Amino acid sequence: MSSRTQILIPAGLSLLVLGYMSVFYVKEHEKAILFRLGEMVESDYKPGLHFKAPIINNVSTFDARVLTLDAKSERFLTSEKKNVIVDSFAKWRIGDVGLFYTTVGGDEFQANLRLDQIMKDAMRSEFGVRTIKQLISEDRNELRETLLAKLSPTAQKFGIELIDIRIKRIDLPQEVSSSVFQRMRAERERVAREFRSQGAESAEQISAEADKQKHVIVANAQRDAENIRGRGDAQSAEIYAKSFGKNPEFYAFYRSLQAYQTSFEKTQDTLVLKPNSDFFKYFSSEK
Amino acid sequence: MSSEKHNTSKQTPQPDWRLEIDKYWKQVSEKTGDFFNDHKSMFSAGKVASAVGGTLAVVWLASGFYIVDQGNRGVVTRFGAYSETTMPGPNWHIPVPFENVAIVNVEQQRFIEVGYIDSSRINKSSLIPQESLMLTADENIIAVRLAVQYQINNARDYLFNVKNNENTLKQLTESVERAVIGRNSMDFVLTEGRSQIVAEIKEQIQAGMDEYKTGISIASVNLQDAQPPEEVQGAFEDAIRAREDKQRLINEAEAYANEVIPKARGAASRIIQEAEAYEAEKIAKAKGETERFDQLLVEYEKSPAITRKRLYLEAKEKLYSSTNKVMLEADQTNPMLYMPMPQTFQQHGSSPAASNDAEPTVEPHNADKNGMRKTSGNELRPSRSKQ
Repeated sequence: MSSRTQILIPAGLSLLVLGYMSVFYVKEHEKAILFRLGEMVESDYKPGLHFKAPIINNVSTFDARVLTLDAKSERFLTSEKKNVIVDSFAKWRIGDVGLFYTTVGGDEFQANLRLDQIMKDAMRSEFGVRTIKQLISEDRNELRETLLAKLSPTAQKFGIELIDIRIKRIDLPQEVSSSVFQRMRAERERVAREFRSQGAESAEQISAEADKQKHVIVANAQRDAENIRGRGDAQSAEIYAKSFGKNPEFYAFYRSLQAYQTSFEKTQDTLVLKPNSDFFKYFSSEK
Repeated sequence: MSSEKHNTSKQTPQPDWRLEIDKYWKQVSEKTGDFFNDHKSMFSAGKVASAVGGTLAVVWLASGFYIVDQGNRGVVTRFGAYSETTMPGPNWHIPVPFENVAIVNVEQQRFIEVGYIDSSRINKSSLIPQESLMLTADENIIAVRLAVQYQINNARDYLFNVKNNENTLKQLTESVERAVIGRNSMDFVLTEGRSQIVAEIKEQIQAGMDEYKTGISIASVNLQDAQPPEEVQGAFEDAIRAREDKQRLINEAEAYANEVIPKARGAASRIIQEAEAYEAEKIAKAKGETERFDQLLVEYEKSPAITRKRLYLEAKEKLYSSTNKVMLEADQTNPMLYMPMPQTFQQHGSSPAASNDAEPTVEPHNADKNGMRKTSGNELRPSRSKQ
């Protein structure tokens, strides 16, 4: 190796090291603060490559993304002095990183603790003037906006930019829940009874109607049947009268004979006869 | 170093690994020294340096090649700052440490579950009461299970804007579903309102995700299940059963009606038919009898006296041949006659001549031989056949 290269290599290497020490990256999702011997000098950096003096400057980076405060369940009193259990979360990001560093030490966890306190206080007062019904069905959006407006200035003092505050759960405590369940059960029982009695009512109507129709149909048929029978009787009477009227005297004779026969045809009928009747004219003596 | 700890903790001292490496290094350097010494003519130090440097440079540049698979995007950052998003295919970036690339799948359907955990291993989803129970507008409590399907539609936003996108989506979903369901009545949620509610939830989640610039788009929101909580399941099921009972009662009544009315029509038709049969029978009989009479009358009018006599005698003959007879050759003294009448009446258990089931109408000869006799009601039965 020549002496030139022997000098060049370490010199190049030390240049590299020096260069490395005098630049820093700010990533796309980060914010950075430049310190000069512990004193904050610059905190407004775009992402990318930046220069600093080696050794005397050092850099801290902070997460610039949207961060979450997932607040623990908390009991609040509503305007009816009822307890509700509330889960909420807040979305925030570091606004003024310098302020953020000085007030909460640039620590996400610390920031969340502070934020949690002020949020709970604000919520307590907001919940206190609203009924459960308002909280659950009506005022969610309005509550969100009120809380945001109320808390944003406070959060800004910590260098925090509040993006969103949302209520997740608003639940009744266990003992109230059970009474809600009882009410729901009672309500369902009412509905069930109503259904069943309606069913019975309709069924009764339908079957009664059917019975009525049955009777009407049969009665009408009987009426028509009598009519038809009458027609038969009338026609046959007419036929008889026409025919027998030709010779009433003979008819009477002929029909009487038939009647005698049919009325005395059984063997147990006993006739007591006199021998001097017309029939026995030739019975006792031949004349 | 862990191996050092190893050594100190072990009772039996082992050969120190640093000595081993030294030994090995010596061997290597000797060998390469030999190599360089042998080919001194070929290699000057500068040439070696530039060759090595060139090779390193080529390797370094080549390390900038990367392939983005179908359905993915590459997000390139220069010195940590976003520079571009690359499409599927082969790409090149200025190698580390100048540029870096992160690959994000933008087509994969991902999903989160709210209110339950689906464990595919036991193929059963278990409710998480804390997440699933919520209040409705009419202060009822229902259990809701929701699945949200989403995909990343902006890789840059996804990577840089929000810390923990999935958690954010879950929190937002919980908040939105409660807000939407809290505005509606239980019945609406459980029955006809489902699709409307799902649409509303989806829209609001998307709005929130856009507000945070998460780079996520919601593909669909599935309301897996919305039902009353376990504590009141029984009552709800009974109400559903009651609804079915109602239907069942109505159906049964209709079945009864469908049975009774046709039967009544059948009976009516029978009544009419019987009446028509009666009519036809009456007329036919009248015609028959009168025709017989008419024909006889014709003969009678030709010779009345003898026909009359003949008919009379035949009738008497027939009459007397079939009955008991008592002939009394009595004169005017008219002695007492004793007849055991009751005995004769009791013989067949039939009533005497004045029977009480006589026809109300005057029936012609042999009316009841094979005809029908009307009795009380509409029932018709064959009359007793004669012995």
